[in-house]
Amino acid sequence: MRPLRALFLRLAALFRKDRHEREVAAEMASHLAMHIEDNLSAGMSAEEARRQALIKLGGLQQTKELIRERRGLPMLEILLQDLRYGARMLAKNPGFTLVATLTLALGIAVNATMFSLVSAFLLRRPSARDPEHVVVVTSINPASGFQADTSPLSAPNYLAWREASQVFADTAAADEYRTVNLASQGLTAAAAQPEALRSAAVSPTYFSVLGVSPQLGRTFAEGEDQPGRDHVVILSHELWERHFGSDVSLIDRTIRLNRENYTVVGVMPKNFQLLGFTPQLWTPLVFNLADQTAAARKDRSLYLFARLKPGVTLDQARAEIVTLARRAQEDFPETEKGWGAAVRTLPEFLIYGFGIRQGLGVMMATVGFVLMIACANVAGLLLTRSARRRKELAIRLALGAGSFRIIRQLLSENLLMAFLGGGLGLLLANWGIHFVRARLTFNAAITAVQISLDSNVLLFTLVVSMACALLCGFAPALEASRTDINTHLKDESRAASPSRSQSRLRTVMVTGEVALALFLLIGTGLLIRGIFLIEHQNLGFQAERLLTAAVTLDTAHYKDAHQQSAFVRDILPRLQRLPGAQTVAVSSDLPATGPGSVTLQVKGQPDLPANQKPTTLDIVVTADYFQTAGIPMLHGRPFTDTDTAATPRVVLVNQEFVRRNLKDQEPLGKQIRLDVAGAPPEWSEIVGVVGNVKTYSEATTDDPTAYEFFLQRPVPSFSLMVRTNADPDGLASALRNAVAQADVELPLDRLMSMRSVIDRQKGGDVLFTRILGCFAILALILSAIGIYGLIAYSVGQRTHEIGIRLALGANRQDVLRMVLREGLKMTAIGGTVGLAMSLPLPKLFDALFFGLHFSEVRLFFIVPLAILSVAMLATYIPARRATRVDPMVALRYE
Amino acid sequence: MGDKKDVWQGTLALMVLKTLQALGPLHGYGIARRIEQTSGDLLAVNYGTLYPALLKLEQEGYISSEWGTSDNNRKAKYYKLTRAGRKQLGKEAREWEQTTAILARFLAPGKESA
Repeated sequence: MRPLRALFLRLAALFRKDRHEREVAAEMASHLAMHIEDNLSAGMSAEEARRQALIKLGGLQQTKELIRERRGLPMLEILLQDLRYGARMLAKNPGFTLVATLTLALGIAVNATMFSLVSAFLLRRPSARDPEHVVVVTSINPASGFQADTSPLSAPNYLAWREASQVFADTAAADEYRTVNLASQGLTAAAAQPEALRSAAVSPTYFSVLGVSPQLGRTFAEGEDQPGRDHVVILSHELWERHFGSDVSLIDRTIRLNRENYTVVGVMPKNFQLLGFTPQLWTPLVFNLADQTAAARKDRSLYLFARLKPGVTLDQARAEIVTLARRAQEDFPETEKGWGAAVRTLPEFLIYGFGIRQGLGVMMATVGFVLMIACANVAGLLLTRSARRRKELAIRLALGAGSFRIIRQLLSENLLMAFLGGGLGLLLANWGIHFVRARLTFNAAITAVQISLDSNVLLFTLVVSMACALLCGFAPALEASRTDINTHLKDESRAASPSRSQSRLRTVMVTGEVALALFLLIGTGLLIRGIFLIEHQNLGFQAERLLTAAVTLDTAHYKDAHQQSAFVRDILPRLQRLPGAQTVAVSSDLPATGPGSVTLQVKGQPDLPANQKPTTLDIVVTADYFQTAGIPMLHGRPFTDTDTAATPRVVLVNQEFVRRNLKDQEPLGKQIRLDVAGAPPEWSEIVGVVGNVKTYSEATTDDPTAYEFFLQRPVPSFSLMVRTNADPDGLASALRNAVAQADVELPLDRLMSMRSVIDRQKGGDVLFTRILGCFAILALILSAIGIYGLIAYSVGQRTHEIGIRLALGANRQDVLRMVLREGLKMTAIGGTVGLAMSLPLPKLFDALFFGLHFSEVRLFFIVPLAILSVAMLATYIPARRATRVDPMVALRYE
Repeated sequence: MGDKKDVWQGTLALMVLKTLQALGPLHGYGIARRIEQTSGDLLAVNYGTLYPALLKLEQEGYISSEWGTSDNNRKAKYYKLTRAGRKQLGKEAREWEQTTAILARFLAPGKESA
C-alpha cells in the first residue's frame, strides 16, 4: 500500500513541478534563516553565521537536487525529456522524418496485415470449453495424399474404440460433410427455393464433449440417435438468421429436410465454429446393423471427438489409440492393412486440417524480410544523419553527457520514430485487412473466420515497432556515442575519408541488404512464377461456355440406384432442350476439382497388399461427358446407349493411367476392378483412352483416372453440365426451371459457370499471388532505394579523398574504376550470400505446397543482374560526379 | 567531521518519527537540531539529507506538513505525525529493539565459555 501511494504521488509530482520548486525554495530559506539566527545568537559574525549554516546544510543546490530526485521519478523524467527532445529533432528534419516514418510504416503495415491472418487462423481458440482437453482421432491413410493423416474413421472402428478405450471421459462421432435438402419454406427471400445445405451428423454427446451450449433450445438428448427419435435438428446461427429470419418461436416447430419432417430443438450461438467445418445444421448420427459389417470398414467418414479423462495426457491417449489401431490391423488385415491412427488436440487438429499454417508461415517470413529491408534503409538514413550530427553530439559529450546517456537519447528518438511509423502502419494495416477480408471469400470456412485488427495484432505491432527502433537505431547510436570529441569539435578537422568502423558498418549493411533483397526477390519470384504457370496451364478440358450445377439426390425420394438412374435419364433430355445447349452430361465430379481416389486390381497382375496397390481417381460420367467437357478421345470408343446396367461393365481411362498403372501396355480389352466403397467389386473392361485432365485446377499434377459409366454405377451426388453456344450464365435460370420441372423439391447447389468453379477453387492462390506481388514490388523499391542510398552516400563521402587523388595526378578513369570495383565487391559478397540462401527455395516450396512444382532457373540470373545494376548505378553516378569536380573544390568539400 | 559518525540512513526515519512523537509538530531545522542534541553530538547530521527523508515519509503518509509560524515569528513548514506514522513508529521501534537485543547477546563477552 505505502510504496504504491508514494509511487502515485511521485508520478503526480511530474506535473506540478513549479509549485514544488517554489515550496522547496521557501522551506530552505526558512531553514537557513533559523540556523543563521541561532548562529548569530551564538556570537558569530553575520558572514560566518551564513557560511556555517550553509556548510551544515551540505550545500543549498545539492540539497534541492536531493529533494527533487525524491519528489518525482528521475528515470521517467529523463525519458520524457529525451522524447521531447527527440520530437523536436524529428520536427526539425521533416524530410528525413517523413521518409523514415513512411518506410517503417510500410514495413509494419504489411506485417500487421499478415499477422491479422495469423491471429485469426492460428491464435484464436476454438469455441469449445477447455479445448486442449478435447482430442480428435483420425485415420492415417497408407496411400499418401493430401493430409493423409487426417482421414476419417470407419463406423466399426469408432464403435470398437469407443468401447475399448480407457482414456476418454466421453466420446462423440461426427460425419461433418453431409448434404441435406432444405425445402422451400419460411418467410425470408432466401427461403423461396429449396436449398442444398452442408450438414453434419453427430452423436448426441457431440456438443457436451465440446462443452458448448446452444443459444436457443437444447442440444441432442440421449437416445435421439435411435431410429424413430432421430428426426430432430439443431440449426447454425447463420442459417437461422438467413433462412428463418431469426425467428425465436422456431424451437419445437417442424422443418422439412430431405422430404421428411424434423423438429428444430436448438440454435447454436454465432461464435460456435470449428475452423474447417462449416455445417449449417446438425442431425443425430444413427448407427444401424450395417455399420457393424465388414463392408462398413471401407466407408471412412467419421471423426472421433473425445474429452480426455482428468489427468490423462495426450501421449497416453495416443499410445492407447495406436494400440487399438494395431489390433484392428491384425484382426481385419483385408481392409485395415497399413491404416494407422492419429490423435491430436482439437486446436491442433483444426489448424492442421485447415492446412493454412505453411502458407501463413511463408507469408510471415516474406513480410519479415520486407520489414528487415525497411529497417536497413532507415538504419542507413540514420547513419548518414548521425554523420551530420557528429558536431552536436561532440558538444554534448564535451559538456559531460555519458555515452550511455547519448545512446539512450538517440534510441528514444528512434523509438518515437518507430511509434510514429507503427501508428501510421496500423492505419495502413487497417486498410490492408479490409482489402484481404474482402477477397478471402473463396470458401465458406475461410469466409466464416473473422479477420480483424484485434488485440493480438495491436500487441504484435507494438513489439515490432520497438524491435524496429532497436534494430535500425542501435548500430548508428553506438557509432555516434563513440564520437571523438577532439576531432569533431575542431572546425577545420576534415577526415579524408570516413572512420574505419563507420565504413565497416556501412559495408556490412550494404552487403546484408543486397543478400536480403536477393533472397526475397528470388523467393517471391519463384512463388509468383509457380502460380502464374498454374494460372496459364492447359487443364486438359474446355472450361469456357460450360454451365454446371451440383445435385444431391436424397434417399427419401430416390431410394436406390434404379431411381437415381431414372432421374438422370429424365433430366438429360430436359437439359438438352435448353435454348443454346449443345451437349449435356452428368458427372460425379467436375473436371479438375479433385475427385476421390480408389485402389484397383488389374487382371493378370499380382495381388498386392492394400498399401502397395495401384490407385486411380474415380469419376462416374454419362455418355456425352467427354464431348461436353471437351476432353479428347484418344483410342477406343466412348460410352454408348448399348452399355446398360445389364451389359458387361466398361470403363475409360486416361493416358496417365495407361502409363502408370498399365506400364504402357495396350490398354484396350484389359480388365480392371476398382475398390469402390459401398459398391460390390466387379471386373470392368477398358474400352477407351482419353486425354489427361489436371487433378486440381490449382495444381500441376496429372493422376491416373478411371471413368465409370453412370448407368452402370449410379451415384446419388453429381453435377449437371451443359455446354452452351453463348454465355453460360444466361442459361442459369432456364436450367433451374428444367430441374424444377423434373423435381420441384430438389435443390440446386453451386449453379455457376465452369470458369467460376475454377476461380473459386483457386481463389486463395490468386489472392496469394497478388499479395506476394505487392510484397515483391515493395521489397524491390525499398531495397533499390536503400542500396542506392547507402552506396551513393558512402561514395559521396569520399569526394574529398578523390579530390586528393586527382590533385596528386591520378587518372580520372582509374579513380572511377577503383570506386566501382569496391562497390562491385560489396555487391558480389552480398549477392553470393543471398544466392546461397535462396538455392534451397525451390525444394522448400515444392514440399510446402501440395501438387505444385517450382523451378525457374532464369530467376537466379535475372534477379542478381537487376540488383547488380542498381548497385553499379549507385556507385557510378556519385563517383562520376566526384571525379568531375575540380580538385580544389573537392578538397574543400566537407 | 572527525570522529563523529554520519547518520545511518535507515535509522534516520525512525529518529524523525520518534522526535515528532516526543515534541509534537516541528519544522525541519528543529528536527535536525533535536536529533543532533539527543545523540549527544555523537552524530553529525548533514541537515540537507534530512529533507528527502521527510519527503519520503510524507509521500508514504506517515507524516503530514503545513506552513506555520515559529516562536520567533518566522514562517516555517511544520511536520507532524499521522495515525499511520504513530503505528509505524511502534512497529519499527519494536523491530529495532529486537535487533539490538539479538546483537547485544552476540557481542556480550565470554558468555559461551561460562
